[in-house]
Amino acid sequence: MTEIEERQGDFEMYFGPAHPGSGNFSVRVQLRGERVMKAVVDPGYLHRGFEKLMEYREPMQNSVLSDRICVLEPLQWNLLHAEAVDTLMGYDIPERAKYIRVILAELSRIQSHFIWYAVMSMGTGFTTGFNVAMGYRDYMLDVFDYITGGRLYPAGYICPGGVRKDLPEKAEKKILTLFEKIDYMHKFAKKENPVWLERFKEVGVLTKEEAIKLGATGPILRASGVASDVRRDDPYEIYDELEFEIPVFDEGDAYSRYLIAMQEIEESKKIVKQAIDRMPKGEVKTSNMKPIVHFRKAKGETYTRNELSRGEGAIYMIATGKKTPYRVKIRGPSFTHMIPILKHLLTDSYYADVPAIYWSLNQCPADVDR
Amino acid sequence: MKLSIISEIFKNLFKRPMTVLFPMEKVEISERERAKHKFDIDNCISCGSCAKICLNKAIKMVEVKEEYKEKYPKTYPQIDLGKCCFCALCQDICPTGCLTLTEDFYLATFDKESIIIDPLKI
Repeated sequence: MTEIEERQGDFEMYFGPAHPGSGNFSVRVQLRGERVMKAVVDPGYLHRGFEKLMEYREPMQNSVLSDRICVLEPLQWNLLHAEAVDTLMGYDIPERAKYIRVILAELSRIQSHFIWYAVMSMGTGFTTGFNVAMGYRDYMLDVFDYITGGRLYPAGYICPGGVRKDLPEKAEKKILTLFEKIDYMHKFAKKENPVWLERFKEVGVLTKEEAIKLGATGPILRASGVASDVRRDDPYEIYDELEFEIPVFDEGDAYSRYLIAMQEIEESKKIVKQAIDRMPKGEVKTSNMKPIVHFRKAKGETYTRNELSRGEGAIYMIATGKKTPYRVKIRGPSFTHMIPILKHLLTDSYYADVPAIYWSLNQCPADVDR
Repeated sequence: MKLSIISEIFKNLFKRPMTVLFPMEKVEISERERAKHKFDIDNCISCGSCAKICLNKAIKMVEVKEEYKEKYPKTYPQIDLGKCCFCALCQDICPTGCLTLTEDFYLATFDKESIIIDPLKI
């Protein structure tokens, strides 16, 4: 990056890591008046070393660890890790387990998008939006608690070989009642709020070419006009049997990214309803054995990718016949969104737009640092 | 923008608050809640599977106090709740089902020593 010639009146500001709207992430912005001349992203405040930790633990223990990769969507990381181990072990997952996995992953996507809406509102001073979204997300956490035994962390509920327990009684009914409950939040968010429009329209525009060049994935890429979704391009679990749309917008601004989130909530609801209707009865685990994966039988490597709520997440795992994996590489979707894309979007923007751009990228510092 | 403020106000006037008055009222806890452990020492076969599966090494197999050694001569799990992440892998792997996780999640304490629980006190 070229150095900017310093002038009188230039100054530097820190956005985060102690900013209420930044999360465990920091951006150093160089300002000339109200304009951002240069932005330097500064990750590393939430590094926990999962890749190394996983080399010392067995797959079943790692599946509990995988919750923590991204705090805001633990079930989806659970699923991704389980799929990587399933591929290496050659497990044939029971049909019912696949349906349960998809239902929980999509519910996780909905609650993650609620948080997205909440933090976008918080970042731009719309506190009511934050309170409404977080309040209604709480109903979803109650359902997670009912099914997995943990409000936030399922503790490896989606594990290698299936899921740890079958759905409890009346779980399907609870999920459908939940959809009625959270409907208010969705209507609330869809209202054309003039303040919202003012803060997000034509702000942080990422063109199609830039999005592809800088490695955007998921909703960020779809908001820039590229119809890309791993669930459609490279289907896993039962996604090839389900009917759902992939929302795409051409504008590439923060507002279109918000619209993508709102439409994806609708699509996820559709997926969950279909899965509940078609869910067969039967086993939920490959075998009824105790929670042990005989990982010594596995040899080879795998690159498994999934469509997470933030974009494309992947796990690369090597097994060499030992009881622990030889190497685990985690690709978090927020990494490319937060390092090159944020830097690019913040340059030459207004300082007041920094939180709007920052949160419109739906980032999670936890999966940037891992 | 249309916001029917009046109807919203009336709706909220007669709506119950989302919060409850703790400790007089308590929120409903799921049956699958993973919280404090319960241990049935008489059924334990001292296999040590719980200590092996624990990913945080929160379980340690220890001998009981001298006065109970005659009745319980083997080693039994001692749990460090400070390290425990309540994943319930120990519950799933226990061959006799003597180690289970209960719904009791009131674990806040001022005494640091009290979080390491002796097998006889679990």
